[in-house]
Amino acid sequence: MTSFQQTLGEEAGIAEELAESQRAISIAEFFEKNKQMLGFDSEARALVTAVKEAVDNALDATEEARIRPNISVEITESGDYYRLAVEDNGPGITKAQIPKIFGKLLYGSRFHAREQSRGQQGIGISAAVLYSQLTSGKPAKITSRTKGSETVMEFELVIDTDDNEPEIRDERELTPGESDLGDTHGTRIELEMAGNMRARQQLQDYIKHTAVVNPHATISFSEPNQEFVAKADYDADLPEETEEIRPHPHGVELGNVLKMLKATDSHSVSGFLQTEFTRVGRKTADNIVDAFRDRHYGREMAWSLPDDDAVIAAVTEAVNNKPAEAVGAFADQVVAALGDRAADGRVAHHQVAAAVEAAAEAVEAEAQFGSTVRGNVVEGVWTAITGYGVTSEDEEADDTSRIRDDVRAHADAATSVQKDDAVVVAFADRLAAKFVPEGDDTEDLDARRNRLHRDTVRDYVDRAADMTEEREDATFGDTARENVVEELWGTMVTVPDDPPKVRDLAADRQGVGDLVAAMRMTDIIAPPTSCLSPISAELVEAGLRKEFDAEFYSAATRDAEVTAGDPFVVEAGIAYGGDIEAEGQAQLLRYANRVPLVYKRGGCAITQVIQDIGWRNYNLDQPGGRGVPNGPVVIMVHVASTNVPFTSESKDAVASVPEIEDEIELAVREAARDLKSYLKKQRSMRKRQQKQNVLADIMPRMATKVAEVTGRPEPNYDDALARIMNNVLVERETTENGDGQTVTVRIENNASTKESPELTDIVTAEPSNLTDGASVVEMDGEWFVKWQPEVSSGDEAVLEYTVATDASFDLSVSGVEGPKLTVTN
Amino acid sequence: MSTDTDADARQQLIDLAAEFYDQFERGDVPSMTLPTRTKSNIEYDEASDVWVYGDRTSTRSANSVRGARKLLKAIYTIEFLARQLDEDRSSTLRELYYLSESWDAEEAQFNGQDESNKLVEDLEIVSEVKREDFHMRPEESGATLIGPLELIEQTRRGERQIHCQKDVGEGGYQIPNNPDTIEFTDHDTDFVLCVETGGMRDRLVENGFDTEYNCLIVHLKGQPARATRRVTKRLHDELDLPVLVFTDGDPWSYRIFGSVAYGSIKSAHLSKYLATPEARYVGIRPQDIVEYDLPTDPLADSDVNALESELEDPRFQDEFWTEQIELQLDIGKKAEQQALAANGLDFVTDTYLPERLTDMGVL
Repeated sequence: MTSFQQTLGEEAGIAEELAESQRAISIAEFFEKNKQMLGFDSEARALVTAVKEAVDNALDATEEARIRPNISVEITESGDYYRLAVEDNGPGITKAQIPKIFGKLLYGSRFHAREQSRGQQGIGISAAVLYSQLTSGKPAKITSRTKGSETVMEFELVIDTDDNEPEIRDERELTPGESDLGDTHGTRIELEMAGNMRARQQLQDYIKHTAVVNPHATISFSEPNQEFVAKADYDADLPEETEEIRPHPHGVELGNVLKMLKATDSHSVSGFLQTEFTRVGRKTADNIVDAFRDRHYGREMAWSLPDDDAVIAAVTEAVNNKPAEAVGAFADQVVAALGDRAADGRVAHHQVAAAVEAAAEAVEAEAQFGSTVRGNVVEGVWTAITGYGVTSEDEEADDTSRIRDDVRAHADAATSVQKDDAVVVAFADRLAAKFVPEGDDTEDLDARRNRLHRDTVRDYVDRAADMTEEREDATFGDTARENVVEELWGTMVTVPDDPPKVRDLAADRQGVGDLVAAMRMTDIIAPPTSCLSPISAELVEAGLRKEFDAEFYSAATRDAEVTAGDPFVVEAGIAYGGDIEAEGQAQLLRYANRVPLVYKRGGCAITQVIQDIGWRNYNLDQPGGRGVPNGPVVIMVHVASTNVPFTSESKDAVASVPEIEDEIELAVREAARDLKSYLKKQRSMRKRQQKQNVLADIMPRMATKVAEVTGRPEPNYDDALARIMNNVLVERETTENGDGQTVTVRIENNASTKESPELTDIVTAEPSNLTDGASVVEMDGEWFVKWQPEVSSGDEAVLEYTVATDASFDLSVSGVEGPKLTVTN
Repeated sequence: MSTDTDADARQQLIDLAAEFYDQFERGDVPSMTLPTRTKSNIEYDEASDVWVYGDRTSTRSANSVRGARKLLKAIYTIEFLARQLDEDRSSTLRELYYLSESWDAEEAQFNGQDESNKLVEDLEIVSEVKREDFHMRPEESGATLIGPLELIEQTRRGERQIHCQKDVGEGGYQIPNNPDTIEFTDHDTDFVLCVETGGMRDRLVENGFDTEYNCLIVHLKGQPARATRRVTKRLHDELDLPVLVFTDGDPWSYRIFGSVAYGSIKSAHLSKYLATPEARYVGIRPQDIVEYDLPTDPLADSDVNALESELEDPRFQDEFWTEQIELQLDIGKKAEQQALAANGLDFVTDTYLPERLTDMGVL
């Protein structure tokens, strides 16, 4: 359908075709010609792509074996080349698996799978192998130790550019100590290739961003200038295994269906649909087959029935040499059967035929009406209905006023009341004439029984409308025409013809096209989402937490949606503040199926959706009210799908598909909502803090001046300050009480909400006579008086205890936000 | 005499500070309540015939950063004024503004002179002590008066006896900032004529109007200063002289008359002390424009707005003013005092004023 629907399977097909038709071109040349599409267009980028392919492979290999991935990426300089070594702790590979993994260029095993996987992204590690081989001339070195094995296998591998097959050059069995491979099992691939580190930033971003969406994995990275390790979050589980699903009827292409038809064991189209596709049962299959019939065979026009006498007369006339009584009974049965089949008093040709069959069967006991007679009766009744003759000789006798009236009624119903009646009538009459077979058409069965494709109906309407515009000087616009077509098509009846057998259909490209169109047109429930493995909001947040030291994190995972038969899930995450770079634009992290997208930021639907969001509503700075917001923000979006639509083969940017864009927007907005409330709260706390700072300067000065002017001692302003700030005021007073002192801690809540501050008063002597609810714990000669009262807005609570006069105190309060708390000792 | 007032004023200020002190001690948020100083909150006081502030009040409270700053400025100003009274010094409003720059608390410093002026007025209101009694004076020199009046002024250099016609030049007698320091001793005056513009005052003096008609000419100098209004009121109250106001014929000049007669919005708290409700308006009246066919300027949009706002102003709610303002809006013209010169330089003294004053029963 549209370009993004093009699947990798088809690309493989193209490559195959290319290779077949141009045998002279070697795979090396093919690679050279297509390297931009494979991500090897520059030396800088080649390194990024090779790392990307190797890391994707490593992650897939470990996860498939349900092992927590521990992957290391090393880039070292090696003469004029760079040496890339990627090692994982996966299950290891055996010699027999080598062709499978380093299979032919572009022939990945995932091309046909309906399952979310990283591999669907890339073009396989084999392209990286080929690239290194073509640029440095060195073979790839693969070291592997399978689980439980005592020895390590080391292979040197090249891809034979003539037949595009991997070829093992050298093979050695080593002891674990001899090899570079660490750990107990895993695989290490080393490639030497032309490259440069100009894309250093992209490389680091790629590793870091990969770590964000794979919080369960540890990835270490080292290159000549620096190294770092993204440590796994051990609370993060491995992603759930995905299930492969059969294709959904809305997501397949003609070519795929052709192949599936050739491969299927089913004989009927209905059986084929039910066995090869997901979400297709008997009923859905029937609906698709009906839609197929409409497209493939067309529908038959239904005309209103004439009165019973006319039908009886037509039947009687068509039947010779039968007892009048039997004929009469037969005719009555025909009338009844027609009535049964009519919808809105109208019948189509095949319904007439079915009615005659049924009538003949009903009177079978009394008289036999053979097939010839039945045929004559059908045509006789059809003539009675339509008014045009059975054969060309009768053309003169045509009286098509019945169908003319029908078409007039349809035209009237379908056009707006503003249309001039005379114009509508003229149009309807011209349109009605199209249904009357003329000349050679009178011999044509389909023409006689008015069996038409929708396109033909449209053609009739267009011709009639064009003529009307010309002759009547009226306008007959596209909408009006389409309405008429819709009205007629709605009246027309799906034919009962059986669809072709699968075997025959497979040879009929046109027929398959009709089937694909029929599948698209039919309502079918969305595919199951078990084939998807979203990261989940918690892990998105965990990933961001792990890689960005921020103040605030939020994440959202949307429910699965479907576009063009492919289920997809969008997730978004936001990190704000902390160590995130505050200058300039927010960082965007784009992912497709857990793989970071590094290039073509501007052309990506994710970027565009983020630019279109009004970030000012979320309290972020957005110059001009459009574009990526500014500030210390990281915005992360993950699109997981069985078939992520990309803008181009290099798979750097998600294409603009409305359903996906909508979900991206909703996911980002969901995450941003939490950010908004956080920022709002932060802003009000900051304002409060500023106010407090100013007042904390003004109040004591005011108190001092007031004391100066009045000549009295300085007044206590804490209560006033706490009241102004709607604060929780905690004050302690002591009064001498015989040989001890009474300590009074008063909590005054000037805030508008209920507060429960947690007090800890550390006393150097044992306190007694504590207020109920307070507790004392002794630790190393100090007594911790703990008290957590609930204080309603405007209320106060008092803690009292008695302690020796020489005791000293250390009062601390928690459970109330800093700026809202005033503590005086 | 002045020390008594000073001590009194000082005590009022200290009481104000004590109120803040008590608020602190009670744990209350310090605040200061003032009448709302807008046009909608002035009302006619029947007992004194002047316009005073109504019942609506606004509260300056330390609850907001703004309010807290205002109160801090207030207490610093109180301290300054109290000390000034203690030391028997005086200063100008502008000096107060600059002086605040030297205060240790940056938050207490004034952002502009409007702010310090307004704060002094606030203190006048809450302490019920006049600015003059705080020893605060405005920057500009007071206006002048000329006419057959003899008075004694208490100056820093001793008592001075002055006859305001014989002892002064053509410039006249300069009204001091605190006119309560003068005492009227003798006069030969029949009425007081307050004149808006310097040009007209000089014309009247040159033509000998003060000598011819035993008239005391007070120069208003535009919107009259408090001292000018106070002197006018005292001339009326103490010497029982009719007060007449002679201004341009435009809405701004009517407000000048309004502040002489009824008090101004800004100083409505002092209306009983400053306003002369018995003052009467001589002209230029809109009716004069018509009757004398004076040269005019068309009313600008701002003039029309001002006139319409005066129609709503409680101070102008009487038959005379409603009629005159509506007439002016109708003819759409205004005229200056000098426009009378279109009929000759002596027209104002020979014809216009004698005719009008006779009409008004003054002559």
